[in-house]
Amino acid sequence: MNKPPPSLRRWVFEPDPNPPASRLWLVSLLAILAAFLASGLIFWAYGVSPLTAYITVIQGTLFDSTGLAEVLRRFIPLVLIGSGLTLAFRAQFFNIGAEGQLLMGAVAAAGIALFVPLPAALVLPTMFVVGFLAGGAYALVAAVLKARLGVNEILTTLMFNYVASYLVIYLINGPWQGKTVRGFAYTDPFPPAAVLPTLPGTLVHWPTLILGLIMTVFLQLLLSRSVLGYELRVAGANPTAARYAGISATKVVWLVALCSGGAAGLAGVGEAAGIHQKLLDPSQISLGYGFTAVIVAYLARGNPILTIPTALLMAILFAGGDVMKVSLQMPFRVIDALSGLLLLFLIGSERLVEYRLRRKENPQ
Amino acid sequence: MKLRWIALAAVFLGAMGLAQSAKLKACFVYVGPPGDYGWTFAHDQGRKLAEKALPWLETKYVESVPEGQAMPFIDKFVKDGCQVIFTTSFGYMDETVAAAKKYPNVIFAHNAGYKRAPNLATYMADFYQVYYLSGLMAGALTKTDKVGYVGAYPVPEVKRHIDAFALGVQATNPKATVNVKWINAWFDPAKAAEAANALIAEGSDVFSYTEDSPTTIQVAAKKNLLAIGSHYSPMLKYAPNNVVSGQIVHWDKIYIDFLTKVHNGTYTNKNLQNVDYWWLLSHNAVELGADINMPINPKFIPALKAKMVKDSAGKMVSVYDLVMTQLKEMSQPKPSFDPFTGPLKDRNGVLRVPAGKTMTEEELTSMEWAAPGVVGAWPNEPK
Repeated sequence: MNKPPPSLRRWVFEPDPNPPASRLWLVSLLAILAAFLASGLIFWAYGVSPLTAYITVIQGTLFDSTGLAEVLRRFIPLVLIGSGLTLAFRAQFFNIGAEGQLLMGAVAAAGIALFVPLPAALVLPTMFVVGFLAGGAYALVAAVLKARLGVNEILTTLMFNYVASYLVIYLINGPWQGKTVRGFAYTDPFPPAAVLPTLPGTLVHWPTLILGLIMTVFLQLLLSRSVLGYELRVAGANPTAARYAGISATKVVWLVALCSGGAAGLAGVGEAAGIHQKLLDPSQISLGYGFTAVIVAYLARGNPILTIPTALLMAILFAGGDVMKVSLQMPFRVIDALSGLLLLFLIGSERLVEYRLRRKENPQ
Repeated sequence: MKLRWIALAAVFLGAMGLAQSAKLKACFVYVGPPGDYGWTFAHDQGRKLAEKALPWLETKYVESVPEGQAMPFIDKFVKDGCQVIFTTSFGYMDETVAAAKKYPNVIFAHNAGYKRAPNLATYMADFYQVYYLSGLMAGALTKTDKVGYVGAYPVPEVKRHIDAFALGVQATNPKATVNVKWINAWFDPAKAAEAANALIAEGSDVFSYTEDSPTTIQVAAKKNLLAIGSHYSPMLKYAPNNVVSGQIVHWDKIYIDFLTKVHNGTYTNKNLQNVDYWWLLSHNAVELGADINMPINPKFIPALKAKMVKDSAGKMVSVYDLVMTQLKEMSQPKPSFDPFTGPLKDRNGVLRVPAGKTMTEEELTSMEWAAPGVVGAWPNEPK
């Protein structure tokens, strides 16, 4: 009896001392699949076959020119904000105030567009620069509070979303309310020089799209090829070690706040100058891009360049929700449920990465 | 044999194709979900009633379309063969104008706006007369002489409604004030509850509102206070003992009229430049009611009959009779009464409508002044 009988061999689920890198991707993929399965149940309960729903979504987004444009339009703010957030999360700076930073970017853009006389060629570049600074400075407040006073940045950035939102409401109802809007809460439309060009027949403001792609590459290089990036990675992975190595935690926090807030500010400039061409109610300026970008950054696992596929995924979901609204006459909250489930399953499965399933023989 | 089947099938399919192409396809862009119990709910009721009434009509809708982003949905509607497209919020105005230019063969109708084109009409069912009648009742029923009003946005539409309401309140109770709180949202139950509670704390005991949820009614009912509060859709069921009356809309009247005229060729994509529906009580597009066909909740009729006031001719009448008489006068094809007839002064004493004049649609849709009795912030108040 050297070999144990088969009944004594069993599967065990145990912590893995050395999880391989591939398991991260496997678990993430499975979590995404599980989220789609669970949402399928919701669609089914609503009376729409999940298969029909997903086929409709894929056909209506990826195999349809209007649909593809709608995906790209959502991709722009998501990739911009998402790539900035990967950096912040990598440095353990949990900036969830991108929504507010986006709004500050939009406010800055509107201020330049409506009230600062500039040569036409300089208007848009100035809007982007000032928008970046406005978003970055807004995040910097939370960074300063964290670095100097140890205030939790999750709370400050979250609360600052509301402050930004009310600032926009104040401006469009008060000092910036347009002369041509008959009392409604909008600014006047931006002059033509402050309007971003779009791909013909779509709402895809391509200059911001290009800016977003450049941003991912730039941030990736900054992170992996520069001294700053090295300091950032060390500070994020092991703050104590970073302190011993003489890396300034303050500097790192400032840098990631500026980058992530600035990127969100750029997204705000794009939405204001590309889509709306005016400042309007905050709930209409951004459709929660600042929050969805958290999923984008989370999925990209700290790699700015990987936000290109992950932002694309979330953009497809966004545009897919619209397709479902029109083609299947489903309520718009359905897609919120889907992205919520996605985040839930991803975070819920996080611990599984450090576990393995192994066939073990019982000791005799 | 086989050929015959194929021929039959072909005829059948052809007939189906014909039957389909004979239907008029109308598509609706909604700003909120049909479940908002207010604005979009009422539009969706109108769409359903039109579809029921018109056998040749086929409809489709898309809900919760953000402002400034309607074009992709309009693109999709046109691709799907929509021949008439309704955009049901002021915020879609510029996009609808652009869409009408982009698709000259499609007929558009924009709700609550003022820009038209050969293939773009505008339409609105307005409540100002109904708000005046609501005000008459509120003035009669308040015991604290303070009437609360929860307003959405300080835009001309809401200001016009508050002014009409305040004129009514002061007609039956010159001592009473209308205390206004803005929530800066069309649909935000949390903010509406906050505003209503603040008004209660200030002493208001009768409420009216312009926002898309039943919140104000529910908050008032909890303290057993009253609301003239079916707004856009009937809301008696939310507080049967507290809802006195309200403002109900029948978008179906406009939708059926417009679509019938499109179907019989009266309206084409060339002749809508001057087509503007500004439909009031006389068109049955709006209704005074706690519920459909119930102008006043019977529970409150005795109290309204007991309260006597002077009518415009100086005769003593009960508020109930006053409301019913003026409702009848305004429901005639040529209304013999209009609340915005001069002389009217604003709350600062500035003459806004001279004696003998009645405000025009143009003046009503851009009015910014506050009526006497209105208390509270009033953005953009003219000096």
